[in-house]
Amino acid sequence: MKTKLVVIILVPLVVFGLSLVLGPKIINPFAMDETSREILFSVRAPRSIVALLMGMALGASGAVLQGILRNPLADPYILGISSGASLSAAIGIIMGLTFLGSFTIPVLAFAGAIFTGSLVGVMGWKRGGLWPERLLLAGVGLSFLFSALLMLIMSVSSDEGLRRATLWIFGDLSMSDWSRIPFGLIFVLGGMLLSMARAKALNALILGDELAHSLGFTPHVERFFLFVSVGLMTSASVSLGGMIGFIGLLVPHMIRFFAGSDSRALIPASAFMGGALLCVADLVSRSILPPMELPAGVVTAIIGSPYFLYLLRRRNVLSV
Amino acid sequence: MKKVTILLAVLLVCVAAQYSHAGETPKRIVSLAPNMTELLFALGLGDRIVGVTSFCDYPEAAKKKPKIGGMSNPSLEAVIALKPDVVVMTVDGNPKEFEERLRSLKIKTFVFRAKRLREFPQGIREMGAVLGAAEKADVLSGEVEKTLERFRTARQPAKKEKVLFIVWPEPLIVAGPGSIADDALTLLGEKNISDDSRTSYPKYSIEEIIRRAPDVIFIGKGKGMERVSKGLLQRLETVPAVKNGKVFYVSDYLYRLTPRTVKGLEELDRYIGRRD
Repeated sequence: MKTKLVVIILVPLVVFGLSLVLGPKIINPFAMDETSREILFSVRAPRSIVALLMGMALGASGAVLQGILRNPLADPYILGISSGASLSAAIGIIMGLTFLGSFTIPVLAFAGAIFTGSLVGVMGWKRGGLWPERLLLAGVGLSFLFSALLMLIMSVSSDEGLRRATLWIFGDLSMSDWSRIPFGLIFVLGGMLLSMARAKALNALILGDELAHSLGFTPHVERFFLFVSVGLMTSASVSLGGMIGFIGLLVPHMIRFFAGSDSRALIPASAFMGGALLCVADLVSRSILPPMELPAGVVTAIIGSPYFLYLLRRRNVLSV
Repeated sequence: MKKVTILLAVLLVCVAAQYSHAGETPKRIVSLAPNMTELLFALGLGDRIVGVTSFCDYPEAAKKKPKIGGMSNPSLEAVIALKPDVVVMTVDGNPKEFEERLRSLKIKTFVFRAKRLREFPQGIREMGAVLGAAEKADVLSGEVEKTLERFRTARQPAKKEKVLFIVWPEPLIVAGPGSIADDALTLLGEKNISDDSRTSYPKYSIEEIIRRAPDVIFIGKGKGMERVSKGLLQRLETVPAVKNGKVFYVSDYLYRLTPRTVKGLEELDRYIGRRD
């Protein structure tokens, strides 16, 4: 167990270090000129930190969500939060809104995400509590609605606006600078601490509401707090850099395979691995075709999907 | 020799047959691109235009024309309903399938093939010939050619300035090789730092900008562009262009080939400044 713990903490650190040094050009941290220092500290470092934060948020909220929905297919985007965020961000991008300068789009996305999350919460609420099936169906329904509205807006917008919106939606980390990190940090860490404080309850919830009840937890209360934590983390992640597919679905399964499914370990481990995976994906996306950049979301899915399918073949059933 | 002449004649007939209406002025024209609309107006064909895209906003009169949808998704029904004699399209933004559909419905099309600055005068002439506005097209293309030639010969600076043309700051999209802005910079004898990208409007890497240290940065104008670009420029504050206050907001004339493209060229020239 101890070695596993060391590995799980070491991997993101090593990846973070590599992502600073590697890139379109390798920077030797011991012999930097003015330009390299500038690139390392004000371009690569904030970008990699944002990638870590986003990946952590997605990995952890995937782990929590698969638990509360008792569904191995759940990922943070299934609740429609990302489609709400994409819709409001796309409206901002296409209409060229700039009321908050370069914070406009992240703030719009965050507002859209929180709004959608609350809406899903309201719809999933019945008889004094949140019900997993209701949450899931409300999320799926809303995300269909918002995707349709997004398509509608995109099909009536000019080609330039369309391309910008598409690039944002597929995940754009290139604009990450230091100024965004404090906000991301507050929401991601806040959500993570909340979910980890409730990890024991999540373990009980996975066994079923009746068992959870007899173990001394009030399922609806626990589910509410866990849902809030997922909402915070996912919203923060989408607003930091758009939609990054697959991390929330894949990473918790990888960790279960590797370190078991106790939520107390699963949540932080999924966070660390999620951060590491996104950091690698971003490194690849900005290094493979310089001076061009690819959307990081595309890279995570291309790296992630084959591995996921491989896991699926190796194990008979993927569980939560 | 005689054979060659015959062959040429046959070829000519074939080309002419393709534009069976060549020389004859069509009465009802539908334009599927803003720059085509602008060019049609410049050729004095404005009053024959019966339909334009929703994005055709120049000249003012274009706004009042009936709309047929967007550039990449024009409505086939709307175009047919206008009973056009010819539909003017461009390879730079209109789907090829749409042209095939129109042709299968026996609607004549004229496809404007010029995409680069140097192809522009020829493109204008072809358009004039097919749409029966050859004289005006000759004048216009002559003017464009003269301006291009003037810049080509007048501007051969000893030291090339490194220039970056930003189309949109977030996400960062710049003018790469094959774009008109790149052609313009080359013509002015300057170096576009993003000319080794793989597409004409690449999503660009910020760290590459810092590394390549442009002397001049142009930013295409748009609504609120000063505010949108503020964050990016802060991050580029060590780049010579930003340090020396050589960041200029320019018009969007260089995004598509129009008669105003020449003005865009003059604008860049003015800002870079003559050093010789």
